[in-house]
Amino acid sequence: MKRSQPDSSLDEVSTPKRQKTTTVNGFTNGNIDAPKTKWHHTCYIEGIWLRTPTHKAKAKALFSTPTKPSTVSTPSRGKNADRSAKRKSARVLFEQEDEDVWDGADKLAEEILEEENGQLDPPVQETEGVLETVEADSGEAAKTKKTPATPKRRAGRPKGAKNKRSPTPEGELPPHERYFFQNRGGPPRTSNNTLNKVPLLTHEEYFEKLSQYVDPCGKQKDFLAGLHRRSFPQWNFEFDQGFNICLYGYGAKRKLIQQFADWLYHAHSSTPPSIVIVNGHTPNISIRSIFATIVTAVLGSDVPSKLGSQPVEVLELLQSALKSRSSQKPINVLINSIDAPSLRRAVNQALLARLAATPKIRLLATADTPNFLLMWDISLRDQFNFVFHDCTTFTPFDSENDVVEEVHSLVGRKSRRAGGKDGVGFVLKSLPENARNLYRVLLAELLSMTDEGHNSDDDMDGQGTGREGQGAGEETGIEFRLLYQKASEEFIASSEMMFRTLLKEFHDHQMITSRMDTSGSEILGVPLSREEMEGVLEDLVLN
Amino acid sequence: MDALEPELDTTPDGLNNQGVYIYHPSKSSKAHGDRPSKRRKVERVESDQESCPFVPLLNGHEDATSVELRYRNYEHLWSAQDAKIQVSVVLSMGNWLGLIMLQKILGDVDSEVLDSVSKFVRETSPETYNGCVPAALVTVGSNVSSLSRLLTRLNDRLTTTGEGGVVVLESGDAPNLKTTLKNIIRAAITNTEGNDGYQRSLNDRDGPRLLGYDLDLLSDYVEKKGVSDLVLALRDSEAFDPSLLTDLISLLSSWLDRIPFTLLLGISTSVELFEGRLPRSTISLIKGKYFELHEASNCVDHMYEALQAGGDAKFWIGRNITGTLFERSSDFFQSPEGFVRMIKYAYMSHFFANPLSLLLADELPADLPHDKLCEAIRNLPSFRKFCEDLLDSGSPKQVHQLLEDDEFLFHESLQHLRMGQQRMRDIFQSVKAIHRCLQSPNISKKSSVSDLSVLALAGELSNSSIVEDIFSTVKALDSDNLQDFFAILPQSVTGDSKFQEVQDDLSGLLQTYQDAVPLRSEYDHRHSVVKTTVVQQRVKLSKGKAKLPKQDIEYTKIVDRVQSLLESYLAEILVKPQDLFLHEVFLFDMRNPLKETFGPRPRFAVERALSNPFDYLISTSEDTGTRISTKQPATAILYQLYLESGALVNVHDLWSAFYAVFESHGGNNCDEQMVMALFYRALSELKAFGMVKGSRRNIDHVAKSAWIGL
Repeated sequence: MKRSQPDSSLDEVSTPKRQKTTTVNGFTNGNIDAPKTKWHHTCYIEGIWLRTPTHKAKAKALFSTPTKPSTVSTPSRGKNADRSAKRKSARVLFEQEDEDVWDGADKLAEEILEEENGQLDPPVQETEGVLETVEADSGEAAKTKKTPATPKRRAGRPKGAKNKRSPTPEGELPPHERYFFQNRGGPPRTSNNTLNKVPLLTHEEYFEKLSQYVDPCGKQKDFLAGLHRRSFPQWNFEFDQGFNICLYGYGAKRKLIQQFADWLYHAHSSTPPSIVIVNGHTPNISIRSIFATIVTAVLGSDVPSKLGSQPVEVLELLQSALKSRSSQKPINVLINSIDAPSLRRAVNQALLARLAATPKIRLLATADTPNFLLMWDISLRDQFNFVFHDCTTFTPFDSENDVVEEVHSLVGRKSRRAGGKDGVGFVLKSLPENARNLYRVLLAELLSMTDEGHNSDDDMDGQGTGREGQGAGEETGIEFRLLYQKASEEFIASSEMMFRTLLKEFHDHQMITSRMDTSGSEILGVPLSREEMEGVLEDLVLN
Repeated sequence: MDALEPELDTTPDGLNNQGVYIYHPSKSSKAHGDRPSKRRKVERVESDQESCPFVPLLNGHEDATSVELRYRNYEHLWSAQDAKIQVSVVLSMGNWLGLIMLQKILGDVDSEVLDSVSKFVRETSPETYNGCVPAALVTVGSNVSSLSRLLTRLNDRLTTTGEGGVVVLESGDAPNLKTTLKNIIRAAITNTEGNDGYQRSLNDRDGPRLLGYDLDLLSDYVEKKGVSDLVLALRDSEAFDPSLLTDLISLLSSWLDRIPFTLLLGISTSVELFEGRLPRSTISLIKGKYFELHEASNCVDHMYEALQAGGDAKFWIGRNITGTLFERSSDFFQSPEGFVRMIKYAYMSHFFANPLSLLLADELPADLPHDKLCEAIRNLPSFRKFCEDLLDSGSPKQVHQLLEDDEFLFHESLQHLRMGQQRMRDIFQSVKAIHRCLQSPNISKKSSVSDLSVLALAGELSNSSIVEDIFSTVKALDSDNLQDFFAILPQSVTGDSKFQEVQDDLSGLLQTYQDAVPLRSEYDHRHSVVKTTVVQQRVKLSKGKAKLPKQDIEYTKIVDRVQSLLESYLAEILVKPQDLFLHEVFLFDMRNPLKETFGPRPRFAVERALSNPFDYLISTSEDTGTRISTKQPATAILYQLYLESGALVNVHDLWSAFYAVFESHGGNNCDEQMVMALFYRALSELKAFGMVKGSRRNIDHVAKSAWIGL
């Protein structure tokens, strides 16, 4: 897809699409028929792509505009369906993985499709007419974005084999209909685009960019938070009456919890209450440590030296301590993200429910996920004795999610060393000379290898960026033997034993990756992007 | 301990990133800058009266005494109602097990199941069961919470008599056999000896130190204390791993000669299903009896009646809430405790948020400043209606005075409030009477008090089919039954002079009539005669009235009078509560805080926030339509794009669409990396919500896993 090419004339969302049509039409203007076929192909992909952002409300309005093309195209669609040869050829075209193969193998398919063009011509023309008029009044970007999409697909679709079953859901479908609509059988109707050409972000870039970001809704969010703050006395009253509180809704609620703790503390400033705050999203938080902290809050310095290793033991100790101290003031336990992965397990929730049911424990929990209620059955709900409040804050989950890592794992990119370039550099500084030299050799070898493979990639898509290097960094590796040989040549490691010891150090810090290739030999790689590798290498050479 | 150094690890925004810590206010006390004025106000209130958690209402103009009075009102009223719930449940439900808040109830009111279970526990021993482990199988059905109450009481009994104790085990406590045993032993010993006692028995022991899961520890304890019954209760026995249960039971049976175990298995499905999950060899090791706990709904009805229909009730909950309450109890199997909590929350909401709830106090202090209060009363819809009615009835002067004169209004309001409360009490009296009428054997359709109350609170009872049924039954009553029927009518009906007349006439008629057969009215089906005639070879049936004796005709007249009396009585009493002046004070009927507070829809909330962010964020710009724009939070934009996609989403295309939104807004100076950062954040949030997950089918594709509105 060429949609990322800069367009000089228009900044509309729609621009890429239209531009594509024109370019395709443009560069083959000698033959009218051939571009048409090609046009259909691209349209199909476009149509799919377009389906994604189409907003249903607008889509409805738009269907009224291109009345002509839709009516005209109907007969041709019907004819099309009858011609199985054509259908097959169309399928061949759609199943192509890459545009590069385009001219080669499927001439026949194109030729079959060409027959249809005589009939299809008028609709196409008209469609383009509509296109132009709509784009001419490009007052509203979003509208224009949609408008060309719909007629285009309408005209282009009839060529497709699946024309009958893949229109964008029109109008307001009820939720269940929408579900079945979007889950119909058949091959996935998505484009073959990949993220290869899109520069992904590293941790540093992500945080750097985010720190510059100015939130357009900042004021409204503050207002919303202010509304929630006004409920503090109400929550306090609910606590007072023996209820526990659960806050749900979209957005991080840590700040709100912190403010509530402040408020509680100041509201009872004469005898400040004990408040224990739990951050559920902390990676390896244990229930036992939560209970132990509450015990500390209750007993102060009288905590027995041995608490017991099982959370249940600590909980029972806590309960007996609370029972025996009749003058004990209630303990406020504020749990951020009670549905965080580490607390989510049924065992943990059962223990927390028992904690919540303990007299003199006031529990306030926040939940972030939409389906958190599924964690609790009726007896747990009974023990928790929650009152629920919608506390939508729209605050991003910055500390809760490891954003970059999550996204990369979602799209199948290998998760990279969290520290990135700086982390590796830091570790290297603390390692002996030998190890640093070994890493230098490793990086140099890898970089020279990727350089070789890089050029061919570059030719292919014409816009090689960092993405290629990164991909290559993951793909390419150096064979264990080869690296050992190089290392011994440079007098870094005198024996394989020593060499392995050095490598182990790298392994421990996740600075290298190792895998077996098909022949069974060990391949070593570095989990860094090309730029990062170059940067580290530079530092190593300079120091 | 990590909790002791809380300030170590804070982020720039002042939040602490430790897993768990004890809160200490930050030195700078950031929050002070936020809203100093508000805090000060709250603090002042708090310092005045430490225990009052209410805040001033009426835009903060409510004075401190009123606030406190409101709180006292709440406490007073609720504690009275709470006590009533306990008593009503105990008295009315002799055999019902789920006694609310047992600790408050005198121990001598017993429940059948508890008795039979404890009898079972005492009387059975391995000897009586040929060496099998005695087991009580208790099916709880939907009434989950009742089992824990049963167990608590059983434990209290056994420990006070020193016979033994109950060890409650949940499936969560039993991940493997060792831990399970350890938990059993510890719970059994700490139950009577406390935590120290357990530590002592673990450490101060002759001979080699035993491990925590060695049943020798328990047998020592049993021997030392002379325990005769040790009940091991598995609360949710279906949730236990069957193989673990098998091991546990075989182990228990082999220790049975030293430790007197009795198993108590809580079963929520059926005994057959439970049995089916265990191997035969295990089943043969246990032998026991089967107990059944009853459903919760009955109890809920009684509690409701006690709360609403009490003769001294002052405050009622309305039809919407009642509907919600019973719907939850029947549909979602809400426990009786949950029911009480919801009612409590309704009371809390009313007194916390309604400044007029102050008027419910038994006596108001004379010097109570009520200018604001009167203003609030004048804003009530029911005040408006009241005034309109007054105008219609031609007393504009009074309306004028109500609007101008605070003193007069205040006085009138109090009076009308009392009147309104009396009307409400009457309504519930008649509901109870109707309910009693329905109990009579001649009426087939039975309705519970709660059903009747819902109708009555909606003002629909007097025209309902239930009442019609009663009337038609009454009309068919013979003279003996009619007199019985009079007995169940409330005092307010029978005390009426017209009614007395009817009664006198009836007794007069009966005295003159000295037959063994009671008098029947003409509506009695025995007085209708079926005639059979043959017309054109077809049999025709026609009903007709038999000729009535004279007394019966007299009696029929009396019955007709009774009916019309009852009808007018009901029509007068059963008014729609919403038509009463000041019903806002003594009737709480807002469904919403309650429904959302106890039955939240978090998924809906999240979906709504993301698909219509401006429902939550008050937009400053005018284009708040459904359009996707960069004015919205990034996650909301991405979510709306995601909604349009199919089951499989190409991340690249999603990204292009996302970028296009920003590109169209920012034009050429749109920072692609910045947009990418936002895209990352949004996508990771969708992932955390479980809306997308990685897909192996295609490269760079993710699978959609949540559909809006489903």
